[in-house]
Amino acid sequence: MKDADDQSATEPVATPDDPHAPRVLSEYAKAAKAALAGVSPEPGVAKPDPILVADGIRRAFGGIVAVDVDHFEVQRGSITALIGPNGAGKTTFFNLMTGFDKPNTGRWSFDGASMDGVATHRMASRGMVRTFQLTKSLTKLPVIENMKLGATGQIGEKWWNGLFPGRWKKQEAEIEARADELLTRFKLDHMRDEYAGALSGGQRKLLEMARALMTDPTLVMLDEPMAGVNPALKQSLNQHVRGLRDLGMTVLFVEHDMDMVHDISDWVIVMAEGQVIAEGTPDDISSNPAVIDAYLGAHQGKTLLEDQV
Amino acid sequence: MTQPTVGTIEDFAGRSRGVQLLVGLLVALVALVGFSSPASADGESIQVQVKDQQRDASGKTDNQPVPGVSVTVLDASGAVIGTAVTDDKGVALVSVPGKADYTVRIDESTLPDGLALSAENPAEQQVTEAGFVTSKKIVNFFTGASQSESTSTTERIAQRFADGIRLGLIIAMCSVGLSLIFGTTGLTNFAHGEIVTFGAMAAYFLNDRGVHVLIATPLAVVAGGLLGYSLDRWGFSKFRARGVGLISQMVITLGMSIALKNFFLWRFGGRDKPFLDYTNQVGSKIGPITITPRDLIVTILATIVLVAVALTLQYTRLGKATRAVSDNVDLASSTGIDSAKVIRIIWIAGGALAALGGVFRGLDEQVSWDMGTALLFLMFAGITLGGLGSAFGALVGGFVVGILVETSTLVGVPTELKAAPALLILILILLVRPQGILGRAQRVG
Amino acid sequence: MDIGGVLENAILQFIGFNACYYAIAAIGLNVQFGYAGLLNFGQAGFMAAGAYGVGQTASIFGISLWWGVLIGIGYSVFLGLLMGVPTLRLRADYLAIVTIASAEIVRLIVRSVKFRDQFGGTDGLKDFADTFQQVGINLGLDSAGEYGFWFFQFSGRTLWNLIVGWSLVAIFGVVVWLLMKSPWGRVLKAIREDEDAVRSLGKNVFSYKMQALVLGGVIGSFAGMMLALGNANVQPDNFSRDLTFFVLTGLVLGGVAKVTGSIIGPMVFWGIYSLLDGFLRELVDKPVRIGDFRLLQSTDVGVVVFMVMGILLVLLMVYRPQGLFGNKKEMAFEGR
Repeated sequence: MKDADDQSATEPVATPDDPHAPRVLSEYAKAAKAALAGVSPEPGVAKPDPILVADGIRRAFGGIVAVDVDHFEVQRGSITALIGPNGAGKTTFFNLMTGFDKPNTGRWSFDGASMDGVATHRMASRGMVRTFQLTKSLTKLPVIENMKLGATGQIGEKWWNGLFPGRWKKQEAEIEARADELLTRFKLDHMRDEYAGALSGGQRKLLEMARALMTDPTLVMLDEPMAGVNPALKQSLNQHVRGLRDLGMTVLFVEHDMDMVHDISDWVIVMAEGQVIAEGTPDDISSNPAVIDAYLGAHQGKTLLEDQV
Repeated sequence: MTQPTVGTIEDFAGRSRGVQLLVGLLVALVALVGFSSPASADGESIQVQVKDQQRDASGKTDNQPVPGVSVTVLDASGAVIGTAVTDDKGVALVSVPGKADYTVRIDESTLPDGLALSAENPAEQQVTEAGFVTSKKIVNFFTGASQSESTSTTERIAQRFADGIRLGLIIAMCSVGLSLIFGTTGLTNFAHGEIVTFGAMAAYFLNDRGVHVLIATPLAVVAGGLLGYSLDRWGFSKFRARGVGLISQMVITLGMSIALKNFFLWRFGGRDKPFLDYTNQVGSKIGPITITPRDLIVTILATIVLVAVALTLQYTRLGKATRAVSDNVDLASSTGIDSAKVIRIIWIAGGALAALGGVFRGLDEQVSWDMGTALLFLMFAGITLGGLGSAFGALVGGFVVGILVETSTLVGVPTELKAAPALLILILILLVRPQGILGRAQRVG
Repeated sequence: MDIGGVLENAILQFIGFNACYYAIAAIGLNVQFGYAGLLNFGQAGFMAAGAYGVGQTASIFGISLWWGVLIGIGYSVFLGLLMGVPTLRLRADYLAIVTIASAEIVRLIVRSVKFRDQFGGTDGLKDFADTFQQVGINLGLDSAGEYGFWFFQFSGRTLWNLIVGWSLVAIFGVVVWLLMKSPWGRVLKAIREDEDAVRSLGKNVFSYKMQALVLGGVIGSFAGMMLALGNANVQPDNFSRDLTFFVLTGLVLGGVAKVTGSIIGPMVFWGIYSLLDGFLRELVDKPVRIGDFRLLQSTDVGVVVFMVMGILLVLLMVYRPQGLFGNKKEMAFEGR
């Protein structure tokens, strides 16, 4: 049924929410798709301008190898989806790339700089930021405080400066203005002063994304942005993700929602049993027998598109 | 001024049946209500206790009272306030005009033949005004030959290992419940030490009323199980149901620890007391080790109990269910295990084991109101070493900590600081392998 | 029964020296436990660090008392690092275990015969506080004189202790209030709730936790210094586990993650303590007996009151975890 969406993503797609407005591809989208057009759809293929490059990443828990990725590249300025059946190692790979877990072997670089041994908290200042599968909005802080927390290089975050409001008030005002701007963009401005705990699941996803943007990232890594979001909000979330690319950022996201994958990604990387088994444009992937195998192995009798948690 | 009757227990008025209980906490406590506190006169006094620390040949402190020693108390200006002679409990009470600075002196010539003050203990001690926590200030004098008697190095090492094994077994026994409660509910129970004390208290209470230790012990174990049951039934299962968070629960256990400890101090008194049976045993030599029959039997019994616990965990349905719940509550529940029931059983069994450990500790050393508190930290070191939440880890870790603590004196750690190496172990293991010897690394994210 | 006397005592305890140094300790503990969610159950160890720091100056090292402030801070920073380095990367329980253990070891060390020459053994330290008392005398407070009005009567010495003590409370109260209003405090509160989220935003969570632990510990060490100076001696057994727990009870009573809570909580704690103690003592002129069974006598009162305070902590956590001033919505310590 959903095969209707399988018309190439290079053409404007009529979306269920918005049937009358054919999407016009942005300059950034066109550029990303053009850059990836010549890349051959095979696992571990090199990209013309990679922002994230990983080599020989391996992580085992006890005897179980969760991740064993030979080579992995993410094209700068693209939206890249990372998909795969449950237990394929996607989230673990995410954790490894963002420093939340350490690989047993392997190295990776971001924006040309090696990330070996770089502490987790330095990732954000280098321009790599992530969100989590289970939303980590800080429910006991007001929405605006959540946002302001995201800003990097805050003077007042040194305790000796914190003591003297004069030193940080000015910067704080700038940060607050930026936060308000983002809140407006993500249509959360009406919730500005509420505790984040008062937000709905979808709003929390938005808040987490907006907060991540406060770090001024170049690569945004989203772990299942659609999980637990009600269908009405999905479309708007999609637009926000596209919007990230159109602001010049690169997006890498893990997702089970194949609608979203088809809808917004420029490139898809498929993992199964810890390895990259396929890569390509969304169209390449949906016709790739290795991918169908991987999914059928795990979910007998279901189509690729029905795979949801 | 009445003559103190320290250590004697006054008549027991009958078990309280009023079960108007706060969170079930007091259920098991009422059994203890019969302890009378040490009698003492009103007004300020200084209680001098003379003890001989070197009873058994194993080098363990047994603190036997030394009677017939003359004691003098002087005030700050050097004037004599009062004199007294220690009674058969080794205690002399001198009343003083008020809380102030005093000097307490004992007459070394009145010490029984063969006893002398130990090297670290002067014949004169100072009491400061601030030292009066209550109206009675207790001053201890210890006699005993110096530690380094003519034992060979091998014998000393063997002896310390034997003592360490006994301590290790007791720690392991006490910590099984602590570790499993953590594994199944995530709760770090800071009142677990008080369950240990409770076991020893319950046994002492019966023993003091003429029940032989051999009968009092199983009864104390039952009481410990009941206390564990009560704590879960009317306490923590309710808290879990109410959604009280883990950290709040942890603070609750701190409160319980304070309440129970002070309750013990109130009813039992501040002095260490031995069980009435199996005291003053003469040690016999087994190879390089000198050990009293009592300690030998405690070692053997503790080993049997721990092997039984290990076998139960490994092979029985209940044991497997326990480990499953401890590993992953949700997963275990989804396979049809009634995790609430398993948690209840862990509280009961953990309480019973802790109580038994308390009785053994009481036999090994003496019964005191804060004995469990002192053990708690060793238990934590043990279960962290073994792997927080792992049952076998608690056994192994507790055992290792016991041996390390006792043998640390061989490398020059003063006896009074022998608990310090346990902290060192705790810190090192957290730095090197935080999941412990038998624990598994957690997945992040 | 002298109800008036009991009440007067309770009010005096409410603003008394005990409440004052407890409040300093609670302000420090609040930084760790209340704002950063760090389970420091060894505040007594930090207090001992401060107390021995000032105590050692004149009586052991023979240097000016005022160096003691630096020494005390030094000790507590060291203690904070010792506790924090192994545990702050791990889940919260480990810090609880290590702090409780470290504080106990600190107490064992300072009371040991082995280190008697450094810390004075079980006798503790004395003869170091004259310089401190002299400042009060120089300011015109006759140490033997009586000051005050109505039943608020203090000796010059007590008054001096109270003035310095409550000034410290005010200073640290303002410092913590300012810090918690700042972006630094925002990071701490966020860590309390979800440290992974904070880490993903580029904050060095370990460093912030360490800063909170050490800062709270240093403030705690000032409580110990105040205790040492006020009593003009240091007693090792003052710094038992129970001290930490009662400071914590005071904090929870007032409400965690609130500066007002951390100050008024300990005051209320000592008010309640004094009330209970006074009433029980009035009741127990003679030993209370049931038949031959002696239930309570005057020497038991202190112990029984502490027992009741323990039960109070349990009841508070169950029925009013936000304390007197806490905000239930922002109820502090349930995130990890």
